[in-house]
Amino acid sequence: MRKFEDIIGRDHLWTDPEACSRYAVDGVIPRAVLFPGEVEEVSAIVRVACWENLSVVPRGGGTLMGKGGIPSRLDLVICTERLNRVIDIDPGNLTVTVQAGVRLFDLQKTLAGEENRCYVPVEDGGKESDESVCSLRENRGCFVPLDASAGNRATIGGIIAANTSGPRRLLYGLPRDIVLGVRHVVPTGEIIGMGGKTVKNVAGYDLCKLIIGSMGTLGVLCEMTLRLLPLPERSGTWLFVFPGLKEAAACVDAVFARPLVPCAMEILNRRACYDLSVKWPEQGNKGCFGVVAAFEGTEEAVDRMKTEVETLADGAGAVEKMYLDDDGHREFWSFYGSPGADSSGNRDEAVCLKLNYPLSRYREVLEWVETGGIGDHVPLASYTRAGSGVTRILVQLGNDRAEDSPAGPGWVKKLLAHVDGLGGNLVVEHAGPELKKHLPVWGAARGDLKVMEWVKKAMDPKGIFSPGRFVGHV
Amino acid sequence: MDRMSLIGGLEEIVGSSNVLHSPMDMTLYGYDASLGRGMPDVVVLPGSTEEVAGVVALAHGEKVPIIARGSGTNLSGGTIPIRGGIVVHLSRMNRILEIDIPNRTVTVEPGVITLDLQGRLLKEGFTYAPDPASQKVSTIGGNVGENSGGPHCLKYGVTTNHVLGAEVVLHDGSIVCLGGKSQDNPGYDLLGLLVGSEGTLGVVTKMILRILRTPEAVKTMLAIYDSIEDAGNTVSAIIAEGIIPATLEMMDHVVMRAVEESVHAGYPLDAAAVLIIELDGLRDGMERQAGRIREICKANGVREIQVARDDKERARLWAGRKGAFGAMSRLRPSYMVCDGTVPRTRLPEVLNKVLEVGEKYDLVIGNVFHAGDGNLHPLILFDERDEKELAAANAASSEILKICAEAGGTISGEHGIGIEKLEEMSLIFSEADFDAMRRVKHALDPRDILNPGKVIPAAPS
Repeated sequence: MRKFEDIIGRDHLWTDPEACSRYAVDGVIPRAVLFPGEVEEVSAIVRVACWENLSVVPRGGGTLMGKGGIPSRLDLVICTERLNRVIDIDPGNLTVTVQAGVRLFDLQKTLAGEENRCYVPVEDGGKESDESVCSLRENRGCFVPLDASAGNRATIGGIIAANTSGPRRLLYGLPRDIVLGVRHVVPTGEIIGMGGKTVKNVAGYDLCKLIIGSMGTLGVLCEMTLRLLPLPERSGTWLFVFPGLKEAAACVDAVFARPLVPCAMEILNRRACYDLSVKWPEQGNKGCFGVVAAFEGTEEAVDRMKTEVETLADGAGAVEKMYLDDDGHREFWSFYGSPGADSSGNRDEAVCLKLNYPLSRYREVLEWVETGGIGDHVPLASYTRAGSGVTRILVQLGNDRAEDSPAGPGWVKKLLAHVDGLGGNLVVEHAGPELKKHLPVWGAARGDLKVMEWVKKAMDPKGIFSPGRFVGHV
Repeated sequence: MDRMSLIGGLEEIVGSSNVLHSPMDMTLYGYDASLGRGMPDVVVLPGSTEEVAGVVALAHGEKVPIIARGSGTNLSGGTIPIRGGIVVHLSRMNRILEIDIPNRTVTVEPGVITLDLQGRLLKEGFTYAPDPASQKVSTIGGNVGENSGGPHCLKYGVTTNHVLGAEVVLHDGSIVCLGGKSQDNPGYDLLGLLVGSEGTLGVVTKMILRILRTPEAVKTMLAIYDSIEDAGNTVSAIIAEGIIPATLEMMDHVVMRAVEESVHAGYPLDAAAVLIIELDGLRDGMERQAGRIREICKANGVREIQVARDDKERARLWAGRKGAFGAMSRLRPSYMVCDGTVPRTRLPEVLNKVLEVGEKYDLVIGNVFHAGDGNLHPLILFDERDEKELAAANAASSEILKICAEAGGTISGEHGIGIEKLEEMSLIFSEADFDAMRRVKHALDPRDILNPGKVIPAAPS
């Protein structure tokens, strides 16, 4: 511990058990929590950890610490909180370079254009109610097309390390499409730099891809360069309620059969509609399935999609509808997805699952989820990213003992088997440590696991980074 | 194992008609579109994944190099058998296995020609976005190996952004599937690592690619400039205005002249540069965006703007760009193409420096490139039989890459490292970076048999 104190100073090293317990990972309490302020400090810390064979779990905003297996050992938690500088904003090149601890929400505000045009709702000075904010405006201002759906606490480093995506991936892609370069401290403590400010780069192996989504098992992600996009001229969101899945699916399929380019297309089950009730049309509480279609782009394109999608939804039998313009759209999407993604509040009885499957199979997945024997008394919300082949499921276990709940390990395993049969998989994004012991945290292992083990062993031969946390316990 | 036993072993796996070993064949498979030369021991043309696996397993056992290749259009020596060994030519594995419209994917074998796939998809109203200039000849397997780009990458990204899954033969001959029709598979993004690894980490035998609906509307414009700097500034100004066209391609007067002489695309011979600007997507709002682009061009001193009125005119505007490399090769016996990439705001400054390099070495350098993503392609013309000129061309190329690296860019945007750019790798990577790459290489190819000697410089002894 003395060595760490020499590197970052006493103020930024916590060893008090009480304080450390707040940074426990799945119930495992670290011996120390470190808050480095420079990439070089991270490097020095990791060098010592490697030498002393201490295990490390990196941490950003902590919103996704519930994802991953229970660490098999844990000595140090390295927090990126103080690595919070925006290093370079380059609107001409449409790139931004930030340190890992910068929060996405804050970054979007920093990138806002004139008159507070911003990708997320802005709350200072009441300017957000100014009409000029959301109506026709000059094309200045940018945004990072990452979609974390985790409130305002998610850090860029955490989003990239966990490969987080949201509904708007439909238009903007995944972190792998948005990250152009990284600076990363590998398990030996060396700092490596891959990629840079250019969109095209084929020099050497694309190790950025390996680091994205590596869940802190290959080192500490310290800095990254991301693509920017100009703020959309206009945005809007349709909320529709349909009497059943059949009608909702008909609407979604009709939209995808047209050459339209919505930025999000979500199917929500009844409970998910209910959870969004603040913004939902009255009948949504009783309605059966909701469809949310969002648009971002030029004024003309958004207006056309608004009209055309409404017609298609009417044709498919929508019983309720509501349209949200720019400000409403921004607010809706910053609020949407928060259930299950934000670790604040009491989530120990909640289980959050993410299913992935070939995108045409969503109906089969949803039908099984609705009728898969879980019963009506367990509230289950499903959010389906139609067009991406992803469904997020949030189950509240209530007062049942988790292992005995109808939505317990037995049900999750059956669900996994069903999705696996469709060519997909399942990941547990959140579950209490007790329940987790009985869950297939990373779904079903696949044939490429051995290659992952080779890579992990080569990059982290001592196995000190997030041991036991990732696929196949690598 | 001697050469004849190796040939015998391979004939057992793929049949004798699919093993080539005559001196002429060895010469034909000894080069690619770069200037390097090598010589394989033997060439095989496998017809299935199992045959590829058999060949790789044999090579693994005998520690013989394996060089997988497609059409050999790559520009950096990536497929040159510098240490002999077995060239695995995948041209017989050229089937489009499945077009899956509901899942928006197509499954192909590596030998499928890029343009053939695009033509087939077009009939269904879909496209596969990456469009390298060599698409008439290049294969999908090669595109994946090199992580190829193309003009439309500005909006749609490069090959890696469109590959969802792959079947891969590993160094020991075992077969694994990475990714698949479903996205977000848990675990490391091995597919992302594999794409662009130039055949040094495995041999791809099947690929699942993302397909996109053909855009509803396309608008193609040709902007003609009297100064290359004005053209460069226009590129930055368009992006700064918040418009992301599908393509922003530039050509200077050297290239334009060569192109006019060979394909007659209608470029004026006395202009300094042209930009090809293409918008695509929903038709709504496109007219207004095109109008804004016209205004930006005017504000940056454009001489004339032509707008394609139909597909025929569009094809004419593009013919010049697609045929540019070929047209340039008519001027001198050899050309060398650099592939440096810089942040696009640095383009005008870097272009001037490239001009200076040409003057310094007394070489004609033409510029035809993807301006929108800052990807330069200076074409250095020379005669490779003239040793002095060859040396000058090499020095000029190296200097241009250095300029790009110093401008915050990189030494290859889409052509790869191969053997040609190995030396320049240290312009952008540290020893720690190389160490990480070597660890990955060693993990996936411990015997160093997969396209050895490429991409990563040898470790200092």
